[in-house]
Amino acid sequence: MEEQKSVNFMRLLSEESTQSTVSSDSCEYYQMEIFDLLPSVQASRPEPSRSVEQGGAESQARLGHGPLSQGPRDKASTQPLRNLALCMQGKRAARDMRKMQISSIGFWKSWRQSQSTNMKRLWEQMGSAVAGLLPWRHTLHRIEGRFGVGVKAYFVFLRYLVFLNLLHCALTAGFILGPTLVYGRGNDSKPLTFESNDSVLDFFLGSGYLDRSPVFFGYYTRGSLDQKCLNTPLLYFIGILTILFLSLIMVVRRTTVGYKHTQMLGKRYSTNLCYKILCGWDFTIQDPAGAVLKQSFIRNDLRLFLEEQSFSLREAQRTLGQKVRLCLLRLALNLMVLSLLGGAFYFIYFSTEISLHEDGHHWLLSLFLQYLPPMTITFVNLVLPHIFRKISSFEDYSVTTQVNVTLVRSIFLKLASLGIYLFFILTNTKNEQHHCRENQFGREMYKLCIFNFLATFSSVFLLNFPRKLVQEWYPSSAVARRLGKQHFLIPFNVLDLVYGQTVSWVGVYYCPLLPLIGTVTLVATFYIKKFSVLRCCVAEHRMFRASSSSVFFHFMLLLGLLLAGVTLGFNLRQQEDRNTSPCGPFPGDQTVLKVTETCVGSLPSMVQTILRYLASEAFALPLILAEIIILTSYVSRGRANQKAIDRLKDMLVMSSSDKVFLVRQHATLLRGQRKRQRVAQDAPVLQQRDASS
Amino acid sequence: MGTTASQLGKDLLSEYQELTFLTKQEILLAHKRFTELLTKDEKDHQNTRVSMERILTLPELKSNPFRKRICHVFSTSEQKDGGLTFEDFLDLLSAFSDSATLEIKSHYAFRIFDFDDDGTLDRGDLEKLVNCLTGETDDTRLTTEEMRQLIDNILEESDIDKDGTVNLSEFQHVISRSPDFVSSFKIVL
Repeated sequence: MEEQKSVNFMRLLSEESTQSTVSSDSCEYYQMEIFDLLPSVQASRPEPSRSVEQGGAESQARLGHGPLSQGPRDKASTQPLRNLALCMQGKRAARDMRKMQISSIGFWKSWRQSQSTNMKRLWEQMGSAVAGLLPWRHTLHRIEGRFGVGVKAYFVFLRYLVFLNLLHCALTAGFILGPTLVYGRGNDSKPLTFESNDSVLDFFLGSGYLDRSPVFFGYYTRGSLDQKCLNTPLLYFIGILTILFLSLIMVVRRTTVGYKHTQMLGKRYSTNLCYKILCGWDFTIQDPAGAVLKQSFIRNDLRLFLEEQSFSLREAQRTLGQKVRLCLLRLALNLMVLSLLGGAFYFIYFSTEISLHEDGHHWLLSLFLQYLPPMTITFVNLVLPHIFRKISSFEDYSVTTQVNVTLVRSIFLKLASLGIYLFFILTNTKNEQHHCRENQFGREMYKLCIFNFLATFSSVFLLNFPRKLVQEWYPSSAVARRLGKQHFLIPFNVLDLVYGQTVSWVGVYYCPLLPLIGTVTLVATFYIKKFSVLRCCVAEHRMFRASSSSVFFHFMLLLGLLLAGVTLGFNLRQQEDRNTSPCGPFPGDQTVLKVTETCVGSLPSMVQTILRYLASEAFALPLILAEIIILTSYVSRGRANQKAIDRLKDMLVMSSSDKVFLVRQHATLLRGQRKRQRVAQDAPVLQQRDASS
Repeated sequence: MGTTASQLGKDLLSEYQELTFLTKQEILLAHKRFTELLTKDEKDHQNTRVSMERILTLPELKSNPFRKRICHVFSTSEQKDGGLTFEDFLDLLSAFSDSATLEIKSHYAFRIFDFDDDGTLDRGDLEKLVNCLTGETDDTRLTTEEMRQLIDNILEESDIDKDGTVNLSEFQHVISRSPDFVSSFKIVL
């Protein structure tokens, strides 16, 4: 036993000595002895294995993963070997060292350790298996390789929306479609057949055959499942509410994750430039052309940064007259933007009017007129953002502000045009007696959804692709040079996605199969966009950071959800007032409120009282109070953390200045000593002076 | 050790799995790609060192401006020629793999950017780094004035202790707050 130990010890020593030869390529920081002795220097030294282990352990303790009381040695030995920044031989040596430790700590502990590594490996395998199930991994990898992280972020967002819609589909099937199919519909409902006056056009217009199909609200009449608290109308309503609430939770979760990142990036210590340099290179890029492009992004981005800096300098030096002139110019341009927006909204109103009043034309004209509002909205949203981009270039903002201003204006345009369209449809009171109003509303959403997809499709295959072909076939022609290279404008493309999702949320109450249609169109959009990116586009010249704008996009998604909620509330309110819906799960005076009230009425009295209390104002007040208290505590905690960060930063600066001071002191002391020695020996020691200087 | 030219022994494979962040499939793929770089008679030897020039023909590294630095950092060669053995190659892939920790990634990133190997990023290192990022030809390089302004800005932001250089802890401090770093510091075969 004794012998064994000594052998191990010898081996350990020899391993350490080999490590030190390995580490000899790392140079000494400073030649001064005291500097080497400082603990912080030893911790930050990259090469020798022990100090690395300590550094890792310290940072782990800093992150708060384990109790601080444990010594750094113990922590380091529990760290997986692969976490050591060593070469393979070094890791082997470390493992041998650990094996010795394990044999000395006994069987039970080593068994537990090996079990925990096995468990960890199992988890890792399961995680990677689940990750392997995610579709389109290969495509995403390829896109990332050619276009970098930014464009990939768009596709990841798209994939996320597909999953969201799939979830909606499942909920729809469970709550809405399933009960109706199983328990049947009302007695007076006719079976679904393809009648003589139906045509293929109905699939575009959402009328005729489709109007009677499960796609729309009117299909879901009250069936044989007719208990007080378990009937198809109630399930329908619960299904819709679940969809909206789940979306809310999911989107809020994603927004907060992104928000945390941007908060961490923080404006207080602007470290943006550091990211551009130190985290600038995307190591996933494999394509040489992609690498050249990436280099040009970075170059442009850095030039942009320097330009912005000198711009802010110039801005500070502006004279009063220049300022006034600029203000007037901006005012005029903003007025122009407002009038453009107003014109766009009037356009939408006009087209809505025409389309709502059309009847009895030729079928082609009728189709055109029916699709007029979606076409107008899409057209407006296609053209105006580019005009906004042009306008903002005149306003003499800095380049980043220009892009942001354009984006804000486009977002406003996009959501407001949808909102205004909804408002016109909702307030329109024409022919509500003959038709199912909800169906009509759902039809409009259906058309918006279909047209949005058609617009994506045709913009790629009728605009981008031919443009690319012209450039390929006649690269030197004047047309090709005028057209220039095509870029994948990520912000605008994400805007399109957000818009589509908003339409889907708004319409889901009136057209429960909209999530299914959404899923199909999104999957198709994925392939179309993939084709567009890989075939037609060269990567953008502006850097697009995946993290910085995703908060913005998710925030827009939230706005869309809000719009959907408001629309639904408004519509339900209207229904309450009128009591005259001839179709769907809530016909006549059987409104949503009535149905839920009947259900609540049938419950035991205890539950009733509780529910009524929860819905009353008496409950709202304590709820709001509690929310305020929780929020306050969080805000104060955040502030305290901020202060702690400030103090830690100060401490870091202080300690490092202490260190520098000590080193300087020591150096002067040494120099003094040497001088004395020199006087004594009367011979200059050149080498030492070199070392100390 | 049971290394043969075409296949890895089972023990060795599990050892590599323990010592790196790579999965079994990734190690086997890495081995396949590595043996493709070897010549006929080299395949018979164990632990052959492949020269840097041949490593750099890999498409994953070919267009990377830091390719030579990467080879130098991961090479355990005595001659400091940047040649890699298979185990060095695995170390490289492990540090650049999906599952490597931020700690490891930032450590190696620091060493890659530390061009003169003196354990700290000084103005010279930063200048070389920026040149790698923007492209090294004369028309793509930033002007001297731009470079000076840029490096001043970098040091102002990241050099906390104001000693004129960026050391490892300052570097990790910056990196740890970048959400994009882990996703972009990746090389997957």
